[in-house]
Amino acid sequence: MTTTSTTPAESDITALQGALAAEHAAVYGYGVVGAMLSGADQAAAHADWIAHQEARDTLEGMLGKLGATPVAASPAYQLPFTVTDAAEAKALAALLEEGVTRAYLAVVAVRDRTLRSFGALAMQPPANRAAAWRGSTVAFPGMPAS
Amino acid sequence: MLAVSAASMPALLSLNACKGPGVPAVLSGPPPVSDQTTMLLHAVTEEQNLIWLYDKVSAAHPELALRPLLTEHRQHLDLLSARVVEPPGKKVPDTVTSKPAIAATSAAAVAQLRAAEQRAVNVLLSRLGGASPSLAQLYASVAASEATHVAVLDSLGRPQ
Repeated sequence: MTTTSTTPAESDITALQGALAAEHAAVYGYGVVGAMLSGADQAAAHADWIAHQEARDTLEGMLGKLGATPVAASPAYQLPFTVTDAAEAKALAALLEEGVTRAYLAVVAVRDRTLRSFGALAMQPPANRAAAWRGSTVAFPGMPAS
Repeated sequence: MLAVSAASMPALLSLNACKGPGVPAVLSGPPPVSDQTTMLLHAVTEEQNLIWLYDKVSAAHPELALRPLLTEHRQHLDLLSARVVEPPGKKVPDTVTSKPAIAATSAAAVAQLRAAEQRAVNVLLSRLGGASPSLAQLYASVAASEATHVAVLDSLGRPQ
């Protein structure tokens, strides 16, 4: 911790809530992704769905310890595009992972050193999953495309 | 004729005092490079080392499809170098500080690259605490990119 205060900074809470909201969206989105896939791809989507649920639980625990009420999942989410086949499902999975990566990168900007490290480590699995669904890596995961 | 008010005199006198032989030591040279810039310059050097390693492995083992990863390292280097702005006009050193022998087999060379990428990830993560928020995000993003390279190299190293 860089601060001596025991009260968490509002920016810490905001960044963690942003990551939690992204995890909620990913948990919902993978329900759509998995329904359009089969075989190994569906198994991968299922594993990723579980990973997002675990990450969601971790964030809810962290926020609870900081005295904040974790943001709730929405009953439904507007998909960025219609998903009607496997290719679109994979594109949605990549998009979900990119959103989660971006949300954890926001956590890296807080002042608390422990949270910074948490955010930087937490963005690596979604960056890897995004690369796997996309079929290619990118130079700057989580950062806006130039 | 230029009017000089009494209020501006002390400032003029101070500036003139800096030009003479009695220049205070504190103003005689450029300011020291900050810790932030020192860290950034180390990150630049690490990217240069990785690029050197990828170039050498690519030349020794052209069958390995390394160009996309090498391209991303060049992008890392460009953005990290662009962040070196202190002191003004600071020249980014173009120095490779690590030139290991390249492994003889392609499998061993992939393992060599993988180890170098993982080491780079760990070093970047160790720099987060002392960095400004925007530099910390750049280090974290580059580290995440290099973590994806580790996964790609893992798949290259697996028997097909």
